[in-house]
Amino acid sequence: MYRNTMAIKKKSARLGAVSVPAEILFHIIIGGFGLMCFIPFIFTIIISFTSEKSIAVNGFSFFPEEWSLNAYKYLFERARQVAFSTVSSVISTSVGTVFSVLICVLYSYAMFRKDYKLRQFITFFSFFTMMFGGGLTATYMVSKNLLGLYNNYWALIVPLLVNPFNFIIMRTFYQSSVPDALIESAFIDGSGEYRTLFQIVLPISLPGIATIALFNMIAYWNEWFIGMLYIDKSKLMPLQLLLVKMQQEAEFVAQNSGKIGSISAHMGPVPTESLRMALVVIIVIPIAFAYPFFQRYIISGLTIGAVKG
Amino acid sequence: MSRALTTKGPSIKIKSTKKTLLLTSMALPGIVWLFLFRYLPMFGIILSFKDYRIYYQKPSLINNIIHSEWVGLKNFRFLFVTTDAWIMVRNTIGYNALWIVLSLVISVSFAIMLNEITSKFIAKTYQTMMFFPYFLSWVVVSYFVFAFLSQDKGLISHMQQNAGVPVTEWYHDPKPWPYILTIAYLWKNLGYACVLYLAAITGIDASQYEAARIDGANKWQQVIYVTLPHLKTMIIIIFIMNVGKIFNADFGLFYSVPMDSGPLFPATQVVDTYVYRALRNMGEIGMSSAAGLFQNVVGFICIMVANTITRKVSPESSLF
Amino acid sequence: MMSKTKRVLALVLTVLMAISMLAACGEPQPSSTSTTPSTSASASPSSSADPGTTSNVPAEKVTIKWMVIGSNVTDDSDVMAAIEEYLADKINIKLEMIWGTWAAADSERLLTSLNAGDPIDIYFTCSWTPNEYSAMARRGAFVRLDDPNNNLLEKYAPGLFESLHPDLARAAVTDGAAGKGIYAIPTYKEVGQQYTWDLNMTLLKKYGFTVDDITNYYEFGPILEKVKQGEGKDFYPLNAEPFVMERMANSNDLVDAESLLAFYFDPVDPSKSEAVIKARYLTPEFEKYCKKTREYFLAGYINPAAANGQTMGPARTAAQDAAAYAIGTEVYYPGYEYQTGPKRGIEVVYKPAQAGIISTTSARGSMNGISTASKNPDRALQFLYLLNTDPKLFTMLGYGLEGVHYAKFSDDEVIRNPEAQAVYNPWLAGLGKLTQLPRIKGQAPWSVFEDFNKACKGTPILGFAFDTTPVKDQYAALVNVRKEFADALTAGAVDPDTELPKFIEKLKANGMEEVLAEANRQLEEWKAAQ
Repeated sequence: MYRNTMAIKKKSARLGAVSVPAEILFHIIIGGFGLMCFIPFIFTIIISFTSEKSIAVNGFSFFPEEWSLNAYKYLFERARQVAFSTVSSVISTSVGTVFSVLICVLYSYAMFRKDYKLRQFITFFSFFTMMFGGGLTATYMVSKNLLGLYNNYWALIVPLLVNPFNFIIMRTFYQSSVPDALIESAFIDGSGEYRTLFQIVLPISLPGIATIALFNMIAYWNEWFIGMLYIDKSKLMPLQLLLVKMQQEAEFVAQNSGKIGSISAHMGPVPTESLRMALVVIIVIPIAFAYPFFQRYIISGLTIGAVKG
Repeated sequence: MSRALTTKGPSIKIKSTKKTLLLTSMALPGIVWLFLFRYLPMFGIILSFKDYRIYYQKPSLINNIIHSEWVGLKNFRFLFVTTDAWIMVRNTIGYNALWIVLSLVISVSFAIMLNEITSKFIAKTYQTMMFFPYFLSWVVVSYFVFAFLSQDKGLISHMQQNAGVPVTEWYHDPKPWPYILTIAYLWKNLGYACVLYLAAITGIDASQYEAARIDGANKWQQVIYVTLPHLKTMIIIIFIMNVGKIFNADFGLFYSVPMDSGPLFPATQVVDTYVYRALRNMGEIGMSSAAGLFQNVVGFICIMVANTITRKVSPESSLF
Repeated sequence: MMSKTKRVLALVLTVLMAISMLAACGEPQPSSTSTTPSTSASASPSSSADPGTTSNVPAEKVTIKWMVIGSNVTDDSDVMAAIEEYLADKINIKLEMIWGTWAAADSERLLTSLNAGDPIDIYFTCSWTPNEYSAMARRGAFVRLDDPNNNLLEKYAPGLFESLHPDLARAAVTDGAAGKGIYAIPTYKEVGQQYTWDLNMTLLKKYGFTVDDITNYYEFGPILEKVKQGEGKDFYPLNAEPFVMERMANSNDLVDAESLLAFYFDPVDPSKSEAVIKARYLTPEFEKYCKKTREYFLAGYINPAAANGQTMGPARTAAQDAAAYAIGTEVYYPGYEYQTGPKRGIEVVYKPAQAGIISTTSARGSMNGISTASKNPDRALQFLYLLNTDPKLFTMLGYGLEGVHYAKFSDDEVIRNPEAQAVYNPWLAGLGKLTQLPRIKGQAPWSVFEDFNKACKGTPILGFAFDTTPVKDQYAALVNVRKEFADALTAGAVDPDTELPKFIEKLKANGMEEVLAEANRQLEEWKAAQ
């Protein structure tokens, strides 16, 4: 029985597929590019295990002369901070992703509905903020001193909840996968607006939602600027901020050591290159593992249409 | 739909009001957020026209702005007086225009190719690999580029040495950099752009392909007549939104990847790097907000033009 | 919601304080602290009239927030608690530190805070970060401390400036928003600045050279050649920060943060220099330097990585750590050889290129200003005063707690606990008077430091700071031009015969001469006002 269905599946897959030579060409192009993208990450891992002396003498190399665990040892010694930062990043990313996707799905659905009176208004209302903003100082003042986003999780979550770019992308997904007739028939069936959205529209918009969720998740995970502005408690400092600070410290000292004597004298050891790479590895791995979860909905077999005929 | 609304009596009107209310309630969280975090701080735009001072008798951002002197357009002047004005405008717009087109064409073709790969597992693996660069910051990327191009320890320099060819001074010669920057940009962003189109393709109703097949369309024709028309709206929307950012350059790419190297400026100087370097030690927030505002106004004009054209040609694909 | 929580918290705190003070009254008082706070925790000032207390300790506890940079602190809770307790019967404040690191992001954060009028009381400021002291004072960010109408310095920090190096006080005077005066408290660290050749004596001796052979940059050729021959192709004997080396070769100093202007000083007695500012890259001296450096670069004495601001730092540090250099550059810090010699495993000698100078840049190297947005500028100054006069407080803030963060080695030497230092490591020179600290074992005694400060001489333009605002458009353009050419030229990586004329032409086209004229105009004005 099982064998049978497999055979049918394979056959039908082959049936609609491109010719074999064409597919081989696709494998070469896409696979080649994929490798080009992935190898630097392997390189990152190798550098993180390279001894500082090797880097100083030979530069970065795929086959370092001397291996070392020092970078990870250093991170382990600071395990407390790394652990706090990981927790902070995970919490803000997961909570933030859920809420930002929810807000996006709702807002863009309203933008999508052609029969919604305020459609033009809310579209322009969000689009305009994509182009114009009050600038760093004003936003900082309003967020921190007026809205109290300071040294708490909200400060890491709320400022990224809305992204007008994603609103428009999501609206486009609705436009291309939800036929007007579907909403009309739901309306005639007496379905409420919320029920139409959650029970009829969302299930067929899953690829779009997964894409938006992925984008939001990455945006939260990669964010450090918000943390720099609104977080002074080291317990809440996100991982990316930790990394960025390490990178910038090395640069700053190099730029200013000629201006003032005591910088280099008082500096602790500048974070080494292998240490920075080790931190990159720690940052990339969790999100790389979360990725396939979203991908399921983005690449899958062709969906069967929701509206028949 | 609209016909159904107009032909029936007042009960429909009530229903219509209810619908408006319900849909507004859906948009409400977004509206509130946008108001608080985007519209409320917009008073900060005034800074572009002021010589910002802290009102030391009673400092607060509002007081500071009120008591700072109006300077008209003086804060914008530094963008134009430099002899590099043309170079940075050319580079910013040139690279952006090229990359908008390139990344669109390549990512759409990649998405279509990925979709045609029979083994979904392999397709997913490729796609995951393509996404990795997006997780690496430009600073980290700059280390890799340096590992290849460094004059004394770089991999390419080693190869050149071994082959007896003179070593290229990569960080002093601007000529190869338009290519290096383009490759770096595509390398980092294709995976991301590709996801969008892949998801859009996945959303296509399978029955449409079936119908095309029954009509005798081959694979290529299916792509032309089913896939591309379906992607049209997404392509146009992404295009319009990218046009809006045509005057904003990806700072990290132009600053970190060339290692902030001076001799490369003819190929790497863009508006964002110019402003950053100019104001780094001046702390003039009036000038920095002026620069940002100018970039946005240019982007806004471009996007309005692009959108107006789209609305004439293909109204259902326009931004608004 | 917020304010409600705060009110509840305040109430709880008040009750707690009252209880603790009642309890404290029952205990015998140590004789030295006869001035305990009054038993009343009420905020009303009349309560200080309580019979039996002659205390001038403020009854109301306030929180003083202080934002600094350069520090590496991830856990300061125990130190802050100890400081709060220590200060309770002195000035009764709670200290809250915002520890920035060297990351540019933290400097940006600090500037944003200042501009937005954040409720922070004290900010680090200096001559070389974006929140530059004179610019910020002019912009109104800091309270004028010697305001004739409300002289906070006289009231709360009597004698503080007199106890510092006289040139620090001189340099602290600037033209601020509230008139010419003092807007920040300088920290007492090394006052001067001395450019030195960092000599790897172990290696130089191997090739038969002594300290005396290292004299003038323009005569390094034979020495470098001999070392290069002996050590091989991949060895770069001249481990330079090129932009520092240029200053050393030509005896000039910075005037502006972006190094477009130069002040040439007398290498023997800097106080006798001519008070005039030059455009650094337009001088014949610069051309001479470029030509010589090009020679050194082509001979393979300089690492190509030095030609780029981003790659120079790591390359230089790596060469230092591996002791793979003969002559380097260093902006000296008194007693630095005590640290670097053992670390690199060689004998390091720092040979002065000229006499040490005290410039505006060096004397304003580290200061702390009280924000005009502070609700309690008086209390903030009281705190800074105490920090600069009370070694116990400063040690606590700088090193942490005895037995936790450090241990006493001898009467005036301590050993820091590396584990605790990993979570608590402030930038000491950014905080206050360094010489109050017990020295770290192995560190040079403070007398080295004091001797250094005495030996440095003030230049005639000490106290002058160039205000770029009148020429900011040209300045913005010039900064970019400088970046385009200067790094490569000063490292000798490009040919000065072709590149220098291009550089000069572009500088002139973007208004270098106007900027220079404006700088000298300001200088004349400043001199007239002295």
